[in-house]
Amino acid sequence: MLALSMVGSGDGLATHLGTGPLSPVATELRPGLWALRIDRARALSEYLQSQMRVPAVATFGPVARAFDAFAAAAPAIREIVVIGKVLWEVRHDSWDIVVADGPPTGQIGSYLRAAKTIEELVPAGRIAEQAGWMDETLRDPDHTSLAVVTIPEELPTVETEELLAWLAREQVVGHRQIVANRVLGPLDVPATLPAGPAGDAARLHVALYREQRTWLDRLPADLELPYLFGLLTPAEVAARIADAWEAA
Amino acid sequence: MSTRALLVTGGGGVGKTTLAAAIGVVAARRGIRTLVVTVDPARRLADALGTTLGTEPQPLGDEPNLWAAMLDASASWEAIARRHADPAAAERLVANPFFHAATTQFPASQSYAAAEEAVTFIDARAWELVVVDTPPAAGGIDFFTAPRAITDLVGGRLLRWMTGGNLPGRRFFFDRTARPVLRIAGTVLGTQLLDQIAQFFMDLRTTYDGVRRRAKEIEDHLRGAHTVVVTTADPTPLREAVRFFRELPEVARRPEAVIFNRTLPTSWIDADPSGIPEPLASNLRRWAAEAHRQQELRAEFASRYDTRMAVVPWQPEPPTDLDALERLVKASEGLEPVLWDTVD
Repeated sequence: MLALSMVGSGDGLATHLGTGPLSPVATELRPGLWALRIDRARALSEYLQSQMRVPAVATFGPVARAFDAFAAAAPAIREIVVIGKVLWEVRHDSWDIVVADGPPTGQIGSYLRAAKTIEELVPAGRIAEQAGWMDETLRDPDHTSLAVVTIPEELPTVETEELLAWLAREQVVGHRQIVANRVLGPLDVPATLPAGPAGDAARLHVALYREQRTWLDRLPADLELPYLFGLLTPAEVAARIADAWEAA
Repeated sequence: MSTRALLVTGGGGVGKTTLAAAIGVVAARRGIRTLVVTVDPARRLADALGTTLGTEPQPLGDEPNLWAAMLDASASWEAIARRHADPAAAERLVANPFFHAATTQFPASQSYAAAEEAVTFIDARAWELVVVDTPPAAGGIDFFTAPRAITDLVGGRLLRWMTGGNLPGRRFFFDRTARPVLRIAGTVLGTQLLDQIAQFFMDLRTTYDGVRRRAKEIEDHLRGAHTVVVTTADPTPLREAVRFFRELPEVARRPEAVIFNRTLPTSWIDADPSGIPEPLASNLRRWAAEAHRQQELRAEFASRYDTRMAVVPWQPEPPTDLDALERLVKASEGLEPVLWDTVD
């Protein structure tokens, strides 16, 4: 299995996997589990060489710099390099499963749509051909599933609803599921609560639970993951979440 | 009228908009002529403010000193192009498919538009205090770096190289220097597209002087503004908060304070659950562990970044009116002193 971080430093994924900074090259962390972080410049160079068949010598010089400039103005190109790297790993025979830690809900759309945008924007050229298979892989439910992770609060719920409406319109992924994280369990409390911390904590829990259910009723999740209390290391959090996911 | 600006920043989902509104209510009720500018308030906050906000400042309820407005971050590049390019170049830019991609997707453009709008309100000198709820894009720090990002894009070294210097016969230079190299890119992108891109950059380049001047004005204003960073004691928002303390001093003033929202009482940490019936005792243990975790993270933050700190108690339900917003600030520890020091 390959776990990869699509954007940023990849530190969040690294600490949850209990390892140091991730390398842009797939590294085996323990038997069967590999990880990498996508480095945009490196991914661009790989993309130009392997997908665009640009000679290696040109991928670090002016052409790569020119591409960077286009990417700044037309991010679909920058994003296709990132999503292209993910999908290239999916196509690779080395992995049974590739799990990508994506950008926030509000930003994922431009990555998922990058191939389609390129197809619309670029009528010809190798980049348009490559965008075709990427688009197909994303839309194939046997190959790709999008897990939209949310928490049962107003803003994340609204943002998730907006993403779902957008996905319904754009039809860019074949399969998706909603995962609600940090969900509180019910608490059976007596009619009269004692004064002091125990009563106050119960009141807070009941009120938060009720608030969370309002949002979960509005946006039902395919999977609910529990709120984890207290000081835990990221690796412990990952282990607990993995157990809960497996049990579900 | 001398105007103070208080920028309320932080990652998404930490209650930043609510706290910006709450600070506005408290300041206004102290007799300070206050404008709250917000990005896209959650529906329930809009309900609490008692109005649907527009992009023009409007008075709130019966409050004599309180106004609110929404930042229009959608105007972005089309406005920039029309303001700073000559009319023909602006028309070409707006019609260029690459321009469309840029307006909708260049991450800094919305933050730039929001910063420009916020500065316009500060510049109007119609309020004593302008409280700005900054957009959460890229953790919110984008709001401060966007003017430079835009200037770099339209005046960057690469763009100058691709479009030639600012000299007569620039096109000639471009044809002789950049084009041969870009021919390789042409096989990848198609030559028709390459022409569109080249035209896009040539036209974009004409906005440089105007953009640079305006971006500088915006940067100067942001540098003069006070900033508070809102976070919760959770890993992702804390990572965003740390960025403000590390990176903001490069482009603006160091934040005045960090505000920890959704704070649990520290008195729960050592509360004795013995004698308490189940399930209340177990519930108290869980929340006490959570209160302890929050306290540890706050202490760690304080030890790393020597800054003022305010804590706002965890409210299970969001405020429903202006009085509730005011109560949120009154129930906090350390928030009012930060506010009055900023305003005075």
